[in-house]
Amino acid sequence: MRTTNILQSYIRNNPNTQQYQSDKVSRDFDVHRELTNRTFIKPLPSNGKLLNPTIMDYPAEIQKDIKYDIKAFYHALRGKANDHELGRLNDVGMKFGGLVLASYLFTKKQTPKTKLFEFIGFGTFFAAMDLWPKLFIQLPAQLVHGFNVRQYYEDNYGRKKLFYQDHQFIPWDLYPDDVINRIGDRLGIPKDIPNRRNAIQEKMRQIALQNNTLWMLTSGFATPLISALLCNALEKPVNKITDQKMDKFADNLLEHFPQEIKKYDFSKGSAELAKILTENEGKPITKELVESLHKNISNGLDKVVSDSLKRDLDLLLPQDKNYKITDNSVKAIQDTIREVLKPIKLPENIVERIIPNAQTLTEEFTSKGLLNGTYNDFTEHSKTLQRILTKNIEDISSEVDERTKKQLQFNAKKIVHSQKLGKDSPLFEALKLEPAEILTPEKVKTIKAVSDRLNTFKAESAVLDRYAYIKVAQAPETGLANIWNHMSDEIFKAMNFTQDEIKQARIDNEIATEILRNKMESIVANKESYTKFIDKMENLLSNLYSKSTQIDMTQDENAYKTIVNSTCDNTAKTLLGNGMRHTASSIGGIIDGYGNIVSPNTSSRQLMLKFVDDRIKGVKSSFYRFLNFADLYYRIAHLDGRDTAILNNRIPKEVKEEMVELAKTIMLEGHTSDFAVKFWQLRNPEANKSDYRQIETANGKVINQYLGVGEKECVEFANDRHYFESVMKLMYGEDLHPDTAEKIKKSGFWDDFRNFRKDALEILGGDFYFAKPNHLVDGRKVKSTSEQRFILTGCAPADVAYKAFHNMFNSGKWFSVFGKLGAGLIGVTLLAQLFIGRNKNPWKNKEAK
Amino acid sequence: MISPISNFRENRLVTFKSEPKEKTGADSAYDEDTLLNNNFATRTRIGLDKLTKAFTIYPAKGLKGSINSNFYEFLTLGQNVPFIIGSATLISIFNSVNKHFSHNAAIKAAKLGNKMALGVLLYALAKEASKVLVTKPIQMITGIDTELPYAKVNYFLQERPGVYDDLTSIEYHKVGESVDFPRWDLLYGDPKKGEARNFRYDKIAQKNGLGTDLNDSDQDVKPIYKEVLVKSKLAKSFSSFLWAVTAVALAFQKPWDDYFKAATLKVWKGKDFMHSLKVFGRSLVRSAKALYEGPVHSKSPITKHAGKALLGLAAITTVLGVANSVHLTQKPQKHNDVINPKKESVVC
Repeated sequence: MRTTNILQSYIRNNPNTQQYQSDKVSRDFDVHRELTNRTFIKPLPSNGKLLNPTIMDYPAEIQKDIKYDIKAFYHALRGKANDHELGRLNDVGMKFGGLVLASYLFTKKQTPKTKLFEFIGFGTFFAAMDLWPKLFIQLPAQLVHGFNVRQYYEDNYGRKKLFYQDHQFIPWDLYPDDVINRIGDRLGIPKDIPNRRNAIQEKMRQIALQNNTLWMLTSGFATPLISALLCNALEKPVNKITDQKMDKFADNLLEHFPQEIKKYDFSKGSAELAKILTENEGKPITKELVESLHKNISNGLDKVVSDSLKRDLDLLLPQDKNYKITDNSVKAIQDTIREVLKPIKLPENIVERIIPNAQTLTEEFTSKGLLNGTYNDFTEHSKTLQRILTKNIEDISSEVDERTKKQLQFNAKKIVHSQKLGKDSPLFEALKLEPAEILTPEKVKTIKAVSDRLNTFKAESAVLDRYAYIKVAQAPETGLANIWNHMSDEIFKAMNFTQDEIKQARIDNEIATEILRNKMESIVANKESYTKFIDKMENLLSNLYSKSTQIDMTQDENAYKTIVNSTCDNTAKTLLGNGMRHTASSIGGIIDGYGNIVSPNTSSRQLMLKFVDDRIKGVKSSFYRFLNFADLYYRIAHLDGRDTAILNNRIPKEVKEEMVELAKTIMLEGHTSDFAVKFWQLRNPEANKSDYRQIETANGKVINQYLGVGEKECVEFANDRHYFESVMKLMYGEDLHPDTAEKIKKSGFWDDFRNFRKDALEILGGDFYFAKPNHLVDGRKVKSTSEQRFILTGCAPADVAYKAFHNMFNSGKWFSVFGKLGAGLIGVTLLAQLFIGRNKNPWKNKEAK
Repeated sequence: MISPISNFRENRLVTFKSEPKEKTGADSAYDEDTLLNNNFATRTRIGLDKLTKAFTIYPAKGLKGSINSNFYEFLTLGQNVPFIIGSATLISIFNSVNKHFSHNAAIKAAKLGNKMALGVLLYALAKEASKVLVTKPIQMITGIDTELPYAKVNYFLQERPGVYDDLTSIEYHKVGESVDFPRWDLLYGDPKKGEARNFRYDKIAQKNGLGTDLNDSDQDVKPIYKEVLVKSKLAKSFSSFLWAVTAVALAFQKPWDDYFKAATLKVWKGKDFMHSLKVFGRSLVRSAKALYEGPVHSKSPITKHAGKALLGLAAITTVLGVANSVHLTQKPQKHNDVINPKKESVVC
């Protein structure tokens, strides 16, 4: 084999035919000329370019990057990628991992906002990673030094790279002289130095290196910090968006109600039911059958409806009561006796003589009317059989020994006596073989109809429950909870608590109560601040009222109420038609003898309507109470010596002071439990009856002349019937202050608010034994439930405040620490630019030499 | 050896010669680029060296604008400082303010904070540890160690006239760090030490069925070596991040709550510390189970099986990555097919 060196081979051949042709090489470049005249050897001209994309170019750039990454992935998969491609794929892997994690955590979160924030967190993290060097390093550096320290360029192969990434290899040839000189001017590099371009380049390199280092040193702090602060800032806007989306989603549920209920699939359950019915049609009704039918149909129903259904099924499908005794029963009795006698091991002919023959049994049973009928009492059957057996055993006694005879007598008794408590005897089991009732085709039809209707009801109530949950449930990110959070945030923001007050208030409920009281007293002291506060309250309450109106159960008609009623009516009607009275009642309400629903009480209908109603009332009562609380404090603060309907000159000043204090305290922090345990208060049993002047106030507070003066104890006067009445009237009965009324009387909630005050006065003040027995407002007795009183009392302003103080402190503290840290980091990073590029200038060395 | 230009101007010759190891420590004990053993001790030493310098020498040089700062230093800085500071900041964001909250709020915040801290630590741990799942099988199947380290002697330019100290530094790279320019030269044996020139290439060739006693095993191995490098890098890029996020998902499981109640780092309190370790192990197992099984009462199949999907994705990516890496397409054709002994051939 002959071999030839490749160079020799190349030289031997005509070089012209071997010349490499490339589009990238300049047209006038001749490799042979360059090789023969070595003084001309220089690098190939570059096809790279500096990249200066504008914001308008970003979409195209992103598209280009994605294309590049896909190609890189393909190359890497085939083992042909280069370093740059692999570097980019590492970034893709990191982002893909982040996305996968966000997706996993998304599935773990329960609410739309928390779900969404998994992706927002992912997005802000990578955005912060990208934006930090751009906004706080690149931009200030450009402003200070006049060039982009994070310049990108595209190399000969179209690869995008950071210009100053590798300081041992910076493609300076991409910068034209004029640009470099302009940067040099900006950097203050003298124009008359030799090799100025090199000096400028060195200065630029230094500055870029310093900025790159600054980037690496700060990004660890900046990325998580900026990401967290961005998430914090985005919380409210995102909350607003998700709230709107969920609200719209809930409305759509009712708007497309027929389509929504079709999304629930009961075909599996229906098929199972059909199988049970087919297998048992025409067969005796057993306990097991009824239970399996109930289990199938009640799947997904609440316990009340399910129990009612069981009662109806038991009525429709009676079991365990009457049994048919026929010739088959005679055969079964014989078999049972044979089975019981088996352990004794007697000769077959003896056994046959002991077992009563069919004819004897038939005759005996027939003569006593114990055959061919339905029975649920088998006493006579037992006696008859026992007698026949005793006789038969006696007949064969001479043919067996004494021990066997006793065994036979014992086993004969075992036939008619059960061995376990509550269990049927073998004879009873034999007689119960044929229940009198069987599953007839009519009953099958009824069961199918009931099941179909209840399946529809399950779907309907599931959609309605979902709607109610999204709108009013006491759960995070539901409509009403969002309104509550928003309102309480805004109210306390409007009250302008200082950081110190918030810090103190969150420690203890009592401190929070005192701080809230002082703040409210300071607000009501001044008409201007009070008006501003009431304006805010009016705005918030109007929003609450308008949002809750669409699901307010006190309205004659609303979509939810209409659908709940039609669903329950239709279901109850169908069930009644199929004889399922209890189930119909548990869904529709109490039914009279004519089949009419007379009351929704104790029904699914009431549950659905009351749940929404109570939740809305509870929230509205809490904020109406807050408004009433502000008005009460304002009324008291601005008595200016005038008498009012309650605080009049017929009541001693000392009692008025006690009364006002109690009203202010109840309004601020009273719970229904406080009414139940009575209001023990600093009172004087011997009030000064010579002073009937009006109470005095200053700066929103009452200047007490008597209350709290001297040694007094907390007491409770059981016989002072008018005291509680007056306090209730002072809180809820007296007219609103004109300044308050003026601000809210044109609002949508005006009538609703007045009704709330009226109800509170009547119900809380009219319950026989709420405050004290028979201490009633205007002597009117009202029957109310504790639930009604609880809802009407609402949440005490002090409790709302305590929670709000906590939230304000926690978020404020977090923001204060990390906001300051973020601001500090930004400040240091920006200031660093002033120290960057201050190194000894290289040309000065040369000058010195 | 290339010396700084200024040496000539000052008519002085600077030589680079390592001092005895006892005097200077291991760092400067290289006169030239030297292949290192890929073992735990070496990896730890390299890791610590990079970590220390990333927080000391490299930022100092960078902030000064040193002419000798290079891409290695920038990369080392980027691979250590932002990750460590970022992890600490992330943990701090979720934990440091909690102590100011009221008791209940603090407990609630600590639950998330602790899991976040554990998640950050497990992320880093899983990301690095999971690379072994790719590199080891590849090494076992192909004989190619894609992580083979070497010490590079780096020569600096003289920064100050008359100062000749610190003109070298040792950098730690990997032979296959660059797929465009792998350090093939370091894989050749040193005949002075009695090593066959191609002994490393021979082993790889034999392992991959290219045959034994090859005249130029290096030429045959290089394409497949490069192919394995590229493919394994791709596999690592995806699988390591997926294992890392799986570890974070693991940290967010409920059973860790038990551990955080018992957790202590006070080693001197032997009993408590041992108990803490025991609970850690138990929580780890239960959390892994919880991640796999998903929430017990969840009706949503997505929620129920998300953990399985995550684990499956990480495992499948790793397996596919390894399978792709060992599926070699660049093997040279058999010589008989290429060279016709009857015809004239050209040899490089």
